[in-house]
Amino acid sequence: MVAPPFDYVAAGSYDEAVRLLAARGEEAKILAGGQSLMPMLNLRLARPELLIDINLADQRPPSRTGDLLRLPALTRHRVLLEHDLVRQHCPLLAEAIRHVGNVRVRNRGTIGGSLAHADPTSEIGCCALATQAQVVARGPDGERTVPVSELFAGYWSTTLAESQIITDVLIPVARPRQGWSFLEMVRRTSDFAIVAVAAVVELGERPGEIAAARVALAGVADRVMLADPGPMASTADQDLDAAAARIAETLEPASDVHASAAYRRRLARVLVARALRQAAARATGDAR
Amino acid sequence: MNKRQIVLSVNGTDHEVWVFPSDTVLDVLHDELGMADVRYGCGEGVCGTCTVLLDGDPVNGCLTLAVQAAGHEVTTMRGLMGPGEVMHPLQECFLRRGASQCGFCTPGMVLTSVDLVRRCVSQGQARPTRDEIRYALVGNLCRCTGYTKILDAIEEYADQ
Amino acid sequence: MTTPDLQRFTKPYRIVGTSPAHHDFVDKVKGSLHYAADWQLPGMLHGRVVRSPVPSARITGIDVTAARALPGVAAVLTAADVPSNQIVELASGGLAELQVSMPVLAADRVRYMGEPVAVVAATTPQIAYEAAELVAVDYEELPGVFDPISARADGAPRVHEVGNTLVNWQIHCGDVAGALAAADVVIEGEYRSQHVEHAYLEPEAGVGWIENGVLTLRVSTQVIEHAAMIAHILGLPQSKVRVIAAYMGGGFGGKEDMTVEAFLALLVWHTRRPVRMIWDRQESLVASTKRHPFIMRYRTGADRDGTITAQQVEIIGDAGAYPNLSPRVLFAAAACACGPYRVPNASITSTAVFTNNVPASAFRGFGAMQIVLGYESQMDQLAERLGLSRTELRERNFLAKGDLLPTGERLDTCVEVAETMHRAIALLGEPPQPSGPGKLVGRGIGCNRHPYGRTIWFRDRASAWLSLQGDGTLLIRSGVTDLGAGQAASLCQIAAEVLGAPLDDISIYIGDSALNPPAGGTFATRQLYMSGNAVLHAAQELRDRMAPVAADLLGVPADDLEFVAGRVHAHQGEVSITLAELAAACDKRAISTAHLSTWRAEAGSFDPRTGQGDTFPDYTYGTHAADVEVDVETGQVTVLRYGACHDVGRAINPMRVQGQIQGGAMQGLGYALTEDMVIEDGYVQAVLFANYLIPNSQDFPDVLVDIVESGEGKGPLGARGIGEPPIGNVAATIASAIQDAIGVRPDRLPITPERVLALLDERESQP
Repeated sequence: MVAPPFDYVAAGSYDEAVRLLAARGEEAKILAGGQSLMPMLNLRLARPELLIDINLADQRPPSRTGDLLRLPALTRHRVLLEHDLVRQHCPLLAEAIRHVGNVRVRNRGTIGGSLAHADPTSEIGCCALATQAQVVARGPDGERTVPVSELFAGYWSTTLAESQIITDVLIPVARPRQGWSFLEMVRRTSDFAIVAVAAVVELGERPGEIAAARVALAGVADRVMLADPGPMASTADQDLDAAAARIAETLEPASDVHASAAYRRRLARVLVARALRQAAARATGDAR
Repeated sequence: MNKRQIVLSVNGTDHEVWVFPSDTVLDVLHDELGMADVRYGCGEGVCGTCTVLLDGDPVNGCLTLAVQAAGHEVTTMRGLMGPGEVMHPLQECFLRRGASQCGFCTPGMVLTSVDLVRRCVSQGQARPTRDEIRYALVGNLCRCTGYTKILDAIEEYADQ
Repeated sequence: MTTPDLQRFTKPYRIVGTSPAHHDFVDKVKGSLHYAADWQLPGMLHGRVVRSPVPSARITGIDVTAARALPGVAAVLTAADVPSNQIVELASGGLAELQVSMPVLAADRVRYMGEPVAVVAATTPQIAYEAAELVAVDYEELPGVFDPISARADGAPRVHEVGNTLVNWQIHCGDVAGALAAADVVIEGEYRSQHVEHAYLEPEAGVGWIENGVLTLRVSTQVIEHAAMIAHILGLPQSKVRVIAAYMGGGFGGKEDMTVEAFLALLVWHTRRPVRMIWDRQESLVASTKRHPFIMRYRTGADRDGTITAQQVEIIGDAGAYPNLSPRVLFAAAACACGPYRVPNASITSTAVFTNNVPASAFRGFGAMQIVLGYESQMDQLAERLGLSRTELRERNFLAKGDLLPTGERLDTCVEVAETMHRAIALLGEPPQPSGPGKLVGRGIGCNRHPYGRTIWFRDRASAWLSLQGDGTLLIRSGVTDLGAGQAASLCQIAAEVLGAPLDDISIYIGDSALNPPAGGTFATRQLYMSGNAVLHAAQELRDRMAPVAADLLGVPADDLEFVAGRVHAHQGEVSITLAELAAACDKRAISTAHLSTWRAEAGSFDPRTGQGDTFPDYTYGTHAADVEVDVETGQVTVLRYGACHDVGRAINPMRVQGQIQGGAMQGLGYALTEDMVIEDGYVQAVLFANYLIPNSQDFPDVLVDIVESGEGKGPLGARGIGEPPIGNVAATIASAIQDAIGVRPDRLPITPERVLALLDERESQP
């Protein structure tokens, strides 16, 4: 209930925050939305000596440049839910955000914070993978752009260096002939997902042809992961179901209080099949 | 660790308080300022009993540092009331409809739904639907009422 | 809106039967009510309990030096610092149970994860946490036992030296073996339920201090009578301990045993300073008492036409590491094991078994709740086997006034369960259609018989003290504690009805062991029955005493008077006096306008050897009904519609009665579908509130409510208790609906999607 004592500084810029992080190393943690970090502190599961508050470091709104939707890392979940650019160019994310937390959490939680937290049940992580998003990370050595597919390293850990901070999330804007779907199964509405699926399907030239498909899953591994659907012959239900079965076979989820491994695998197959169908239907313009 | 002095503006009044950096808005409002309508329920951000408005938006008091709230406007449920303890219309609906049994979740419910209705109206919608109210209240847990009378009270208020 | 029109409930009274919002509810809505944690005193310290991280171990050493040396620490106490380190609960009045005491602080052994080992007090919560972490305890782990079946087996590790079986209740009537042998059909079933947590939104909390030499505790508690136990623990005279019950932010039985009291008392008495203690939510999840998981084994015999001839029931409850109220819980289960049905031949055994799990104790429903799944599952299975409808089978067997229960008691109030069944089903309307392919819909019902009032051998009583003030306002003083269900407010309504004082002119003072006449704790759905009757009789007796004075002043016969709206007048009369004038007149004639009355419940006795005798004073009957949809690919269950109907005798405040039914049903839905306090090898698995899934605002539809008012309850004005009954029907109702949808009965709680899939697989594999 009571966090161990720590010191606090508000960084006026990302560069300042990076400097402080580099100087203090393991002793310091970045405070963005605080909706994941503060519970850990309240439960005394983490004991940083310094919190570096970056909430004032960035006031930019979401923007679009060319084919990329640029979401500043400090973009609040609520903005993702409501902002026209997000609804228009990444409807997958706008839908998935509805399942994240609650009103209070969405008022403070940030997209950069969520990705950096790397929860294996993260809806945002799922969407970032499925859309081939990238993050821009700033460290003492400057800026680097990292595909989200190379970001997650295991339970609540990323490949980022200790003193790197995510500053932007870049999402390719949704293209024509692309359809999306986000589905999740929760034991109680708005909870941590048992299994979540984000799917993006892109149609080919000929009717029923699939040019590309990306399926990301949460809750089935130690990190949010991309699953390979293999070659998908068409948008016909049986082909999509077969792809889902293939994916399910590759999974090795863990068991926990909420669900066993076997159930998660089975559930993943069902949800992936449904998600592929829904994404394909959206791509072809059917209202389903 | 030393305390530092900050000014917290709560319900329109400035309060000079000495706080540790790790003190949360909940700690300071409840223990320092004696505000009983902001309550500890879980420390995880899932139950809603510590809900306050920060610049008008509902946030978790237990997950927001007091130092972060300095310079912002904090509103608790009692801040919605008029002078002389005049109840906010939503509070009257809660009372009339039996939406409060043990009362512990009530401030969080009231703040969240006042915000919901206000935002709905500002976005051009006459009022939130019952399903939209349910969705907005997902993070405010109640163990006594089964939610029905709370939803009834909010709908009655939203219709006014 | 979905709340049905309250006006159509019968109203022969002016205040009773209406739904004013008053007293504590006003403060709650205004946010000005002070709960137990909302109390500060100068120099107040902050207390924290140090708890065992392991479920079964010997304590080989405790080192408190580092903790005591921390600046700001005022006290670090262990078992050696507790004058009388024993809590002995004679939970069944000494009938037939093992005597096992529970230490306040573990001395040489811990028996469950979370068992208290030490307490600290410091000047800030921060320092208290650090000090608690510095208390170094050496544990030598011992073999433990974590389920009651294993615990009963020969050679099982002993949780207590005297043995692992705490109590074994037996109720027998008729010839069960013979009846089962002769039955046309015998249905066998085993049903299992889980540990669940009360999860009140207000965690356990309190503040203690010393005032005029009296140890005073202001705590969130259902029972102020623990003051005597606290005095004993500290070796103090009972006159030196005072317990004040703050209005609770929920109790549900989780604040019926002591929670913070003994720890606060020790720290306050040792430091001579005020101390506050608030449990962490996560601490409460791990270590506070839970509902008893039950194993329920049934063999039901019946004739071909559906008449039940025999019930053989074995109930096994996991009591956890210490007794608490386990004997009473298992007794209530035994007393209700046959449900609202006539059973001429019954054999019921009900056993509480120690394990190294967290102690189980009172939780809304108290044994009579868990058992509903057992008897209702058997009824549905029987109906299916015989090809009878579920309602037809039940109607054939429902109890009626005058029938005997298996304990030999005769029911002396009406049984309207059939009426509640028809009304509950009517609430659902037309059965729904599946929302798409891969979905199945089903409808189910669940009937129950739930006791209100304490077991009769406790010779229950409650007192209330009413004072009509000189200005015509009224004071009520009662030792009742308030959980949030209007325990206090309902007493005001009753007094207002009888004495005519407006609700705004009534103040009520509750829950103070020093200043209020004792009313007994708030549990067992007893307060309306006991304190309601106490206030009713006190008010009537006071009125009877004052009536001749009023009659004299008004010049009318005393039995022609009406007390209403703050005045007294003759029926149809125009002349009236105010209550203030009446009070003044009484005072002049040396007639006291204050009255203390004690209401005593019927007494009785029970013979644990024969299982015959008196159990509970009366029962509340009800039925729930539900429509569900099952997703056959994921196993997810969606409740589409839910209805509940109970016979409440008389609804003192119809809106609050509805609130109890809706709230109780919602807790039942969590119990049925989502809540599970999983404990593996004694280790609690879900320690976060985020992982303990109580229903939120989106999980379930509104609970539709209908109320029967038969008027034959033993509470005031014919009321029956309604606090606990509505939680009991739910799991059975949901299981019944799922069985209707998928053709297989869930027999384990919670009914998770995973378990539903397993049932569907089972159905697939059947020829």
